[in-house]
This record gives sequence, C-alpha cells and structure tokens, in this order.
Amino acid sequence: MATIEAAGLTRRFGELVAVDDLDLAVDHEVFGLLGPNGSGKTTTVLMLTTLLRPTSGTASVSGCDVVREAARVRERISYVPQDMAVDIKLSGRENVSFFAALYGVPGRDRVDEVLAIMDLAERADDLAGTYSGGMRRRLELAQALVHEPEALFLDEPTIGLDVAGRQAIWAHITELRRRGMTVFVTTHYMDEADHACDRVGVIAKGRLVAVDAPAVLRRQLGGERISLRVDLPATPVTVEGARLVRREDDELIYHADDAAETVPALLAGFAAAGVRVRGLEVAAPTLDDVFLALAGRQDEGGSFDYRRFRNLMRRR
Amino acid sequence: MNAVLVYFARDMRRWIRGRFNVWSALIMPAAWLIFVGLALPTRFTDSYLDFIAPGILVLTMLSAGMQGGSSLIFDKILGFLNKFLALPSPREAILYGKILFTTVRGLLQASVIMLLAVLLGATIFTPSLVAFTYLVLFVFGALLSAFSTSLALFVQDHDGYAAVNALLSMPLFFTSSALMPYDVMPPWLAAIARYNPVSWAIDLIRSFAAPPVPWTSLLALVLLALAMGAVSSLLFRRVTV
Repeated sequence: MATIEAAGLTRRFGELVAVDDLDLAVDHEVFGLLGPNGSGKTTTVLMLTTLLRPTSGTASVSGCDVVREAARVRERISYVPQDMAVDIKLSGRENVSFFAALYGVPGRDRVDEVLAIMDLAERADDLAGTYSGGMRRRLELAQALVHEPEALFLDEPTIGLDVAGRQAIWAHITELRRRGMTVFVTTHYMDEADHACDRVGVIAKGRLVAVDAPAVLRRQLGGERISLRVDLPATPVTVEGARLVRREDDELIYHADDAAETVPALLAGFAAAGVRVRGLEVAAPTLDDVFLALAGRQDEGGSFDYRRFRNLMRRR
Repeated sequence: MNAVLVYFARDMRRWIRGRFNVWSALIMPAAWLIFVGLALPTRFTDSYLDFIAPGILVLTMLSAGMQGGSSLIFDKILGFLNKFLALPSPREAILYGKILFTTVRGLLQASVIMLLAVLLGATIFTPSLVAFTYLVLFVFGALLSAFSTSLALFVQDHDGYAAVNALLSMPLFFTSSALMPYDVMPPWLAAIARYNPVSWAIDLIRSFAAPPVPWTSLLALVLLALAMGAVSSLLFRRVTV
C-alpha cells in the first residue's frame, strides 16, 4: 500500500466542483501537484491532511483513512501551508520546541537535531523575527520534521523566496526523499518541479489530467518547441505540421513534430506576410509547455470572483 | 490537558514579549481609577474610590476578555490555525488554551489595577476580599473569553471583530452597576443593570466587603461560563472539521 492514496476523491463547494474524482498513489518520492490558481491543488492537500472533509471518495495516509482515522493520520504527517507562519517573537528553538511538545516528542535532542538538519543551529536562539524568508521556511520544515513524519505536505514551499533560498529548500526536500520520506508538494514553478520531483500530477479545473515523471510528460508532448521573435504587429501564420501553442508579446511559440521541416515553412510564411522575424530558437519542450498544453490558460478570461472565494474560505 | 498548557505558554510568551501591549491595556482602567475614582464628587459614598474599584477591576477583565478573540483571529488569518489543526494533539486544546490565556492575562492586568487602587488609597482590599475577587474575576473572565473566541470563529477579519467588540464592551460597562449604586440610577437604567452579568460580578465583589453575598449571582456566573464554554467547543468543532 502506498503512503498516500486517494480514490474517487471529490470535494464540492455548492455548485463548484473543486476536486473531481481524483485517483492517486504516492509513495516514497517527491510528488509535485501542478495546477493553475484555483485548480484544486490546495483543496486536495487540505483533504489529505484532514483539514477538509471530502464530499465523496476516500483517501488514506499510511493506511489510515483521512476521515475515520483522522487523528492517526495527523500523527503520521506534517503540513506546511504557504502562509509562512512562524512566531516572530519566539526564538527558532522555541518555535520548534513548541511543536515538539504538541507532537509529544520529549527532550531537547530531537529539537537540536532538526535545527541542525535545517542549518539553523547557529541562529537557534535568535528571535525568528530576525530570520530571512528562506530561514523562516527552513524553520517551518524543522517544526514539521520534529516527530519524524511518514508523509510531508508542502503547499508552495518556495513561494516568495530568492533563488538561493529556493535551491536550499529543494536540496532539503530531495535529501528527505533520499532518507525514505514521502513528500507531497504543490508548486507554480515548473522548472523547480522538473528538477526536484520524481513525478508530477497536473490538475486542471479539479481533474487530474496527467501523472508521470516530468521527463516522460515532456517526451509525451513530443516534437520540438519553436520560438520566434517577430516585429509587431504580426498575425501568426499557420503552417502544416506546426501548432501555435502560446503567444507572449512579440514571441510566438509553435509546437512541431519535425522542426527541420516546419521552420523553413514558417519563415517563408512570415516573409510572405511581410513580418520580419528577428529571432528563432528550437528546443525540446519544457514542463511549462506540457503544463499549458494540459491545463490551458484557465486563469484568463473569467475574472476573480471574490464572493465565491470568500465563501470557499469560510467553508473550510 | 498538556496541549492546552503548551498553547497557553506560547500565547503568554508572545504577549509578554510584546512589551508595549502589556502596558497599553492598563492605561484605560488606570485612567478610570485616577480621573473618575479620585475626582468625581459623589454624595452617596464617602470614598468613591472604594466604590468604583470593584467596577474598574471588572472593566479590566471585560476588556481583556473581549480582546481574547483577536488572538484567535490572527492565528486564523496568518495560517497558524491550519498548522495547529493538522497536529495530532486534540483540536479543542487550541480553544481551551486561548480561553485560559485570555483569562490569566486579564487576571494579571487586574492585579496591577488592584495594586494601583490600594496605592491610591482604596481600603476595602483585605486578603480574603482579594482571594474572592480573583475567584469572581476568573469565572467572569472565562465566560467572556469563551464568548469572544466563539465570536472570532465567525468574524472573517480583525476590523469586523474590533467593531463588534466596541459595540458590546462600552454598553455592557455603562449599563452595569460599575459607576453608581442601583438606588441613584434612573429606574430604566436600574432595570437593565440588574440583568447585566457585568453588574453581577461587580456586586459580588462589593457585597463581600459589605455582606450578605448574593451567592445565586456567583452560581449564575459559573453556569453561564460553563454553558458558554460548551457552546464555544461545539462551534469550534463544527467550524474546524
């Protein structure tokens, strides 16, 4: 049995189906759940961490059901939400000791140990208010690790951190996996997921549309990515064998099975249309491309519905 | 029980290290004691300070207790609550820890105000009255903290909470027996004041200095506090699952 399992997991908020019939098994790996804002990532994590009751379907952590055996699930997991909630008027050590006491972990040894693992030993007695963002996130990881959980749930662990901070967090996550922990992460950062996750799942409008290793997903998307920089205004030309997948200002991104054939055709097409092409790049597809192909651009179009958002927050 | 104390210790530490907050909450009741207690010319008593001191102690507890919910609101807004709810320790411990913290904080603030009253010349505070005062304030404080934390479960932001708090605190204080005895109040005010739990707490403390003590009021406060605690746990369970 996998550490984290979900079968037919569904959550409705009134008419909105936030998570729709999700099946998943995650075991001894770093699993990344990717999805646009409002796609159901956080709702999924809240259900797996017993903070939200599923409308239907089941989920379990280490064989314990998240509804019927919620207390036993909570003994086996740690959850770090994206808010970065550490007590700034307490020292790093006090922040961790506080969680150790609530987890029923006795003594100071384990507290010192996790602080050392997260490279916070030297600053352990400083108030957390003097910590940088990256250190605060590492302090939260230290809190989460103090009772040696079997599964670790991280919601956007690198949000708002600088490059060095992000790298440090991912290095720690990878190290935890190496020691046998199951890590469930949600993230917006595709390049980070590509590097650090063993497998990723793409969720769109509550449905899990793909689950596999990042490299496999990239290969499945197949072909090549042709990126053209053109002078504006420009109407994209259509050429057989090439599909326009994205447009960012003056950059047009096509996806083609065989770039060697389609690039000359594209260039000829733009020349005929009188559009000057200033740059050309052919590369293997990135996880960004996979993500956009699978999840689309859900966020554009519909405006942010504040009332629905508030209701959603209130119900959880 | 252990988890309750852990949450309590966290809040205590954070509060004490907030230095400014520790003292600022004392300014209002101290001002009442000094500028009203010492200055107001009254005909119904020789020592208005002795009369008003129990009222101001209960006022201190009233503001401290009503403030208790804001601590829970911030835990909710800043994401602490979700972290705590995912912990294996009993979830109600979060609530009981808050109620305990709010009540103890109020008792500490009331102690400073009591000391100030004695320094200003209040004569009623015999050791047995002090002990009795703590008992009454504890029950009254538990009632208010249970109420204000329940309120915090439903209010979405801190502004909304502060508004409701202001809406309730002032009228509760002014419609109580804090500032004058029932027989000098206009009849309409006396009618309201007799049913105000704030008056019950004040009258209990005053009556201990001049018996008989209305034990039924104490019983009523205890029952109210227990009922409010039960309602609060029920609401907390409903909101967090």
